Amino acid sequence: MPYEWLPPSPEGARLHLWPYRSLPRRGFVWFVGATAALIAVPLIGVLGSPVLWALLPFLIAAIAAIWWALDRSYRDAEIVEDLLLTPARMTLTRHGPRGRHQSWEANPHWVRVERHETGGPVPQYLTFSGGPRPVEIGAFLTPEERLTLEHELRQHLRALR
Amino acid sequence: MADAAIHGHDHDTRGFFTRWFMSTNHKDIGILYLFTAGLAGLISVGFTVFMRLELMEPGVQYMCLEGTRLFADATRECTPNGHLWNVSITAHGILMMFFVVIPALFGGFGNYFMPLQIGAPDMAFPRMNNLSYWLYVAGTSLAVASVFSPGGNDQLGSGIGWVLYPPLSTSEGGYSTDLAIFAVHLSGASSILGAINIITTFLNMRAPGMTMHKVPLFAWSVFVTAWLILLSLPVLAGAITMLLTDRNFGTTFFQPSGGGDPILYQHILWFFGHPEVYIVIVPGFGIASQVIATFSRKPIFGYLPMVYAMVAIGVLGFVVWAHHMYTVGMSLTQQSYFMMATMVIAVPTGIKIFSWIATMWGGSIEFKTPMLFALGFLFLFTIGGVTGIVLSQAGVDRAYHDTYYVVAHFHYTMSLGAAFCIFAGIYFWFGKMSGRQYPEWAGKLHFFMFFIGANLTFFPQHFLGRQGMPRRYIDYPVEFAYWNHVSSIGAFISFASFLFFLGIVFYTLFAGKRVPEKNYWNEYADTLEWTLPSPPPEHTFEQLPKREDWDKGHAH
Repeated sequence: MPYEWLPPSPEGARLHLWPYRSLPRRGFVWFVGATAALIAVPLIGVLGSPVLWALLPFLIAAIAAIWWALDRSYRDAEIVEDLLLTPARMTLTRHGPRGRHQSWEANPHWVRVERHETGGPVPQYLTFSGGPRPVEIGAFLTPEERLTLEHELRQHLRALR
Repeated sequence: MADAAIHGHDHDTRGFFTRWFMSTNHKDIGILYLFTAGLAGLISVGFTVFMRLELMEPGVQYMCLEGTRLFADATRECTPNGHLWNVSITAHGILMMFFVVIPALFGGFGNYFMPLQIGAPDMAFPRMNNLSYWLYVAGTSLAVASVFSPGGNDQLGSGIGWVLYPPLSTSEGGYSTDLAIFAVHLSGASSILGAINIITTFLNMRAPGMTMHKVPLFAWSVFVTAWLILLSLPVLAGAITMLLTDRNFGTTFFQPSGGGDPILYQHILWFFGHPEVYIVIVPGFGIASQVIATFSRKPIFGYLPMVYAMVAIGVLGFVVWAHHMYTVGMSLTQQSYFMMATMVIAVPTGIKIFSWIATMWGGSIEFKTPMLFALGFLFLFTIGGVTGIVLSQAGVDRAYHDTYYVVAHFHYTMSLGAAFCIFAGIYFWFGKMSGRQYPEWAGKLHFFMFFIGANLTFFPQHFLGRQGMPRRYIDYPVEFAYWNHVSSIGAFISFASFLFFLGIVFYTLFAGKRVPEKNYWNEYADTLEWTLPSPPPEHTFEQLPKREDWDKGHAH
């Protein structure tokens, strides 16, 4: 489940949301490792010949390219939405992708959770209204996850009022 | 970000140029790949038909130094033009290996259906995808240009064989060979970028819950192919770059005069070349699996062994390269190793053949056109595999090396194996891609023409090889005439079937019956592309697909 309510703490209720990626970091290590090992096989045949030095840059470039591509794909999804709920203020901060930060603050008393079944960029699109500007939350989750999330958000907001 | 965006979808207002020339959509790019590969295929097949025409009778009637003829004319002088012959085999080989089969199976079907099957909204790097396609187009243009630019023997084109062995390739005159090398470079760059894109998409953009062991077999086969490309093509790029510097900058990587070793080039080339033949056929395995399961109305038999057999074939492909060059003077130990390693490949291949047969066993089989092509693939690929075992024997290979037996073997695996898979895929997904269905009778007629024609072409070549007819010659003694004549007739039938196929494609695109259903085969076509309308909308799976859409309890 790519969202999680952190254990309750004195500062208030805290929710983290992040997009789903299907390759675990361990998988990345295994894949790049196996690729590097296999691509090195032809080098055995050219050891001691100048051909080795002409071949090597191409092989290194290939490994570097797949490394970069997978890394970039992780970075594209390095988004964490961090929601902090206290009786007086709620803050939503979004980190990423690639070093971007955006934040939003409102008084939870006035904030409403709105769900747009259709018409949004994704079905069951969730937004907060009643703050300085309407903001989205969890647009990268699956529609079912957003339905459960909506329910939980309403419960938390009700508890604060 | 965080700012809410509530608006409807914008309507598609792009013009023809913007849609097709600047496309970053994986489905559009897949279609572009298929059409371009079809065009390159037509050119490449054109060379073979002309070559079979020349080989139909002993003596040289068409490829004359006095001028190339389309009709034999015994009254006029004809001096054999061996250079033209060599250019033809080179162009046919280079086009087929780099610019037809890989782009069709990997670029076309891979681009279109792999993201759909794993539930990804598009490729990981859509603009890089566009770059891959245009590099491929540029490469194809260079390959064709190389045929028409000044080459060796003061004629046009280079006649060095698709393997570009030095010292032949380094001593060929003109700049035709340089263009051919650049063409292969561009094709390699295109395939490597495509492979990186596909690997990243496959590994990191699968729908939630779709673990590696639940991915449909076609998507798996495309992933394995991408991995083979990533591992082998950089090696080729390095090798041909050295050829280029040997030709133009006076280096001696492969020149004995400067301490280089031409045999080393052969080792490097085949380190790429053997995985290359698996790159050609592995996506075909994926298509065959999907098609056979669908038309047997059964889940595929042994999903996991099928997956790991593909991976095993891929890995083994990297440790058997020298079986292409038993005759270069390797030690007995080396030859024994390569012989044993090669025979091991029969095990995973056997697992796949067995599993396809077991999938059909007890199934309710429906002989629709895609199924016919998949069965044709199964049958012909098995024949090609069996002659492969024969050729893997270093001793036997002394007799068969560079004979027509080899030609028959690799055409059974690639020309018949891979081409039948391409056609199976086209008929299987035609309605999905275009929204229109081909006439079933026409598809069947195409299959039977092609099946008969292709077998008539290549089966007699086993006999010619056993009689000792060497490959890559413009002429032959009269003793080989009979089976060459039969083989040429087969080639003409195959060519006619290809033209008929082009007719079917254009008829269907413009006048085919529309398919309203999402899944026009049956419920065993259960991968994610069948949950989408035909043709699928511009953007698919922007919201992640649900598990019930693809996890049907039985394997894929």
